[in-house]
Amino acid sequence: MLSITARNLASALRSSLVGTSSRVAAVRCLHGTEESAEEFDKRYEKYFSRDGIDGWEIRKGMNDLLGMDLVPSPKIIEAGLRASRRVNDIALAIRWLEGCKDKCGDQKATLYPYLLEKITPTLQELGIPTIEELGYDKPELALKSVYDA
Amino acid sequence: MSLIPCLRGRNLFQMTRRGFASGGDLIRLMVADREVVGYGINGRPIYFDSPDCPFPAIRYREVNPELCALREKELDDWKKLSLDEKKQLYRHSFCQTYAEFQHFTPEWKLCLGVALWVVALGIGISISMKTLVYRKLPDTFDDEHQSAQLRRIIQLQMNPITGISSKWCYHENKWK
Repeated sequence: MLSITARNLASALRSSLVGTSSRVAAVRCLHGTEESAEEFDKRYEKYFSRDGIDGWEIRKGMNDLLGMDLVPSPKIIEAGLRASRRVNDIALAIRWLEGCKDKCGDQKATLYPYLLEKITPTLQELGIPTIEELGYDKPELALKSVYDA
Repeated sequence: MSLIPCLRGRNLFQMTRRGFASGGDLIRLMVADREVVGYGINGRPIYFDSPDCPFPAIRYREVNPELCALREKELDDWKKLSLDEKKQLYRHSFCQTYAEFQHFTPEWKLCLGVALWVVALGIGISISMKTLVYRKLPDTFDDEHQSAQLRRIIQLQMNPITGISSKWCYHENKWK
């Protein structure tokens, strides 16, 4: 038992050491090549418009984007909506819209109308309702208490 | 409700024994007929609503015939879906909308209440320990003994560089 543990520990240590050094190398390579905002937008637009992207990858990209300290640009939002159209998942598109609205934070009054104005053609083309049309800008349902179920 | 038949029987013990943390069989059973659609927050097929990870790994509801019909319709142009159907599809994938799970609830009252109860319990325990468990403090804690101790420290010149004796002037026999 102990020997197994020791072996596992040793291999874990080794892999963590190796991992660190390669990570350090990666960071060093990245020095001096900071990605500009345009490049970032382009990268994610390309990611979402890739042929054969599936729901798994779309969700991963959206989760990542909504976890960052930024508001996705209208181009990225449109690419995300089109990607959800291609995998036939309207729920994904609506959630994505909601997430982007939430990312506007305390600037919702100024930023959100701008975003909406930019993406409205795409929304109309794909037939995706806005959050206001769905009535999801206000709480619609209350959750039942688990004790009443 | 649909969970209970899955958990019945002799398998329950085995299921709970096989790693829960690694997303073992028990979680798989709880997922039941729900589609696993993504990585989620940690790769386990669990559902929750959060702005940090708005796309959980599974859909909220199980697959059923009505939904399959709706999904067939979803393959076609989305303009042909009614608003109600769009809402149904959304609610199938997600439990709460952003507006709902970010809605301010009076839950803070419960948290504050429980926290104050815990503090009260702690104070009660310390008072009862003081009165019921511990004995009186030893003699050496009274003023007379403490000043004798201090005098001895100074006489022995303890900690003469930065400590207590460095504050004492030995020529004039008083504090510097």
